[in-house]
Amino acid sequence: MAGGSKGRVLVAMSGGVDSSVTAGLLVEQGYDVVGVTMKLFCHGDDVPDRPCCSLDSINDARRVCDTLGVPHYVLNMESAFGRDVVDDFVREYARGRTPIPCVRCNTFTKFRDLVHKADAIGARWVATGHYARVLDGRLHRGLDPAKDQSYFLWGIDRAVLSRLLLPVGALTKPETRARARSMGLRVVAEKVESQDICFVPHGDHARVVAARLGSDAPALARGNFVRADGSVVGQHDGFVRYTVGQRRGLPGGFAEPMFVTEIRAATREVVIGPRAELLGRGVVARELRWLVDAPLVGEHVEIQVRHRSTPAPAEIVRMDGDEIELALDEPVAAIAPGQSLVLYRGDLVLGGGVIEGARRALPVLAA
Amino acid sequence: MPQTASDFIYLDHAATTPVRREVLDAMLPFLGDRFGNPSSMHRWGREARVALDEARERVAATLGARTDEICFTSGGTEADNLAILGAWHRRREERPAVVTSPFEHKAVLATAHQVAREGGEERLVRVTPEGTVDAEDAERLIDEAVAVVSIMWVNNEIGTIQDVPRIGAAARARGALMHTDAVQAFGKVAIDLAAQPIDLLSISGHKIGAPKGIGAIFVRRGVQIEPLFHGGSQDRGRRPGTENVAFAVGLATAAELAVRDREKEQARLRALRDELELAVLAAVPDAVIHGNGAPRVAHISSISVPGIDAESLLMALDLEGIAASAGSACQSGSVTPSHVLAAMGVRPEIATAAVRMSLGSLSTPEAIRHVAERFPALVLKARDFSGLAAESAALSLA
Repeated sequence: MAGGSKGRVLVAMSGGVDSSVTAGLLVEQGYDVVGVTMKLFCHGDDVPDRPCCSLDSINDARRVCDTLGVPHYVLNMESAFGRDVVDDFVREYARGRTPIPCVRCNTFTKFRDLVHKADAIGARWVATGHYARVLDGRLHRGLDPAKDQSYFLWGIDRAVLSRLLLPVGALTKPETRARARSMGLRVVAEKVESQDICFVPHGDHARVVAARLGSDAPALARGNFVRADGSVVGQHDGFVRYTVGQRRGLPGGFAEPMFVTEIRAATREVVIGPRAELLGRGVVARELRWLVDAPLVGEHVEIQVRHRSTPAPAEIVRMDGDEIELALDEPVAAIAPGQSLVLYRGDLVLGGGVIEGARRALPVLAA
Repeated sequence: MPQTASDFIYLDHAATTPVRREVLDAMLPFLGDRFGNPSSMHRWGREARVALDEARERVAATLGARTDEICFTSGGTEADNLAILGAWHRRREERPAVVTSPFEHKAVLATAHQVAREGGEERLVRVTPEGTVDAEDAERLIDEAVAVVSIMWVNNEIGTIQDVPRIGAAARARGALMHTDAVQAFGKVAIDLAAQPIDLLSISGHKIGAPKGIGAIFVRRGVQIEPLFHGGSQDRGRRPGTENVAFAVGLATAAELAVRDREKEQARLRALRDELELAVLAAVPDAVIHGNGAPRVAHISSISVPGIDAESLLMALDLEGIAASAGSACQSGSVTPSHVLAAMGVRPEIATAAVRMSLGSLSTPEAIRHVAERFPALVLKARDFSGLAAESAALSLA
């Protein structure tokens, strides 16, 4: 029988292979699947020669649902996404930081606003195509280390975990594609994965910032490249184009490879230095969220400061309200403000925060 | 969850309707043996030509028009474009302006914007909070600089009836042409073009039981418009291209049936619609029925439940097999804020809650009773989840 005995699940579908297989697996498992695609942005109805943004993805998701025999809806979440995700993205870049809009999209759009939609249609469960696993109500890394997306999920409300289904988290990407083929989801099985941020055309984030703040915004204005000692070594076309750890687009003529080590928005300076100056012995993060009971100062955990970096052992040395500081057992390179700090114990995600900055010297545990 | 077709309830007749059996039967010969091109001189051509001329005559008769005043189009959108752009292109030297309202169908609004892009002037008539075009304001805006006035007869989102004859009289007095988009009005309000001061009028087949892809425009004898398309001399050059004979026959058949049944069907639907609205208001006293204070056609009901967004409610309804819609949808199928309700000055949080249910041939008393029961139930359930709604409910109790 259609309808599903395990209860209704709202599946967020992007039109890609992961979320399509998610929907298919849940149908097989006996859930009453309702597919939705969130329309998150639109570059304008006023541009007649361009199709409605993300229309192809929406159509693919609709076709997948048709193949699976389940309903599909398009949800217009543009205004909330613009407020919670795009505005913050622009604000962070304007402050010289490197935001991860996917984290805020998960925190606010998918696992808050979309959960409200699930409530409205009486769906007990929500599901996405993330490569992560929920085991005993706790979030774990995806089984495929090459695909693990748990890094992007630290900000979600802990209460959502008890109703979250992430079935592809137990698969590898090739397995997911194979399942798509065996389910007859030809539309999506061979789709090339996009690494771009969905609302940033051609990966050109500076253009998004310019469109929002105007091309005369300080973040886009000419400024100096400086060394840590303040000496000017060149000029750049706007610090928005630089990220801590970046090598591309820097002045040449140095004995060692140079990296961006810091962005000083107030003076529009991009600080560059050799690899040694990129290393941090400590890290500070804010906007803390826990997916388990909060650990204690003095506990040892593993941390990641960017997606797909090797987990680094660290000790929690300070926690004040929603701010945390950790001492790193070994130095970590390119700790970029605005990126996420995620704390793990093995595969278990403990929680995370937004990186405020690195500490060059090893922080010590307060007595 | 509904299991069979009979469990599904279609309440979206303002979006489209099923092709009527009589219409399909009338069309079939022209999709088969009688396939001729009406412009051909041989027997196949003659046969097709006779059928086309007959169809034109029959459509004209349903409108109180003369046969040569009817031109077939691909639908309402083309008819609206042809009326407004065609009239304006012809007269723009002396009369650079067009007058319309901000709550027209996009086929009219976007065409008026096109006039502005081509150097013309677009004047928008005020819409009252009750949901009708302010005829007095229209009279004020229509002057000797206006080429064409376009005001919809029945609003497609809320069902209100505009005083088109009055505005038409004002247009005529100042030498402007009067166009009306009658897509939602045809077969619902009395139209007699022999008596009413209207120069151009659009209708669409698929709202009245004919297929998608056929419509017609009435062009009063003596009114000159520029064609949109260029090609052969079909339809006096107003609309070049080989005519869609089968669909024209379908439109004629559907139009006759719609006009024949109009009063009886409107009375039937009005009773059902009123029953539905009363049931919703009884269970959800703060529900808002848009256009309630104005003359309305019987088949459209637009309801906002404060605190419940239309998107969620439409999903919940569809999951129970009840098909309704929001005011307007974009190409993606997602709900977009209604320009109609915005033009009426409806607050955004109420406008985004608006759900349109439109009745028609598929609306049985059993179906409407079922919806009258389920709609409030789904609303109350959705409210349980909404903290905001709980707050406002607490306030209204206090």
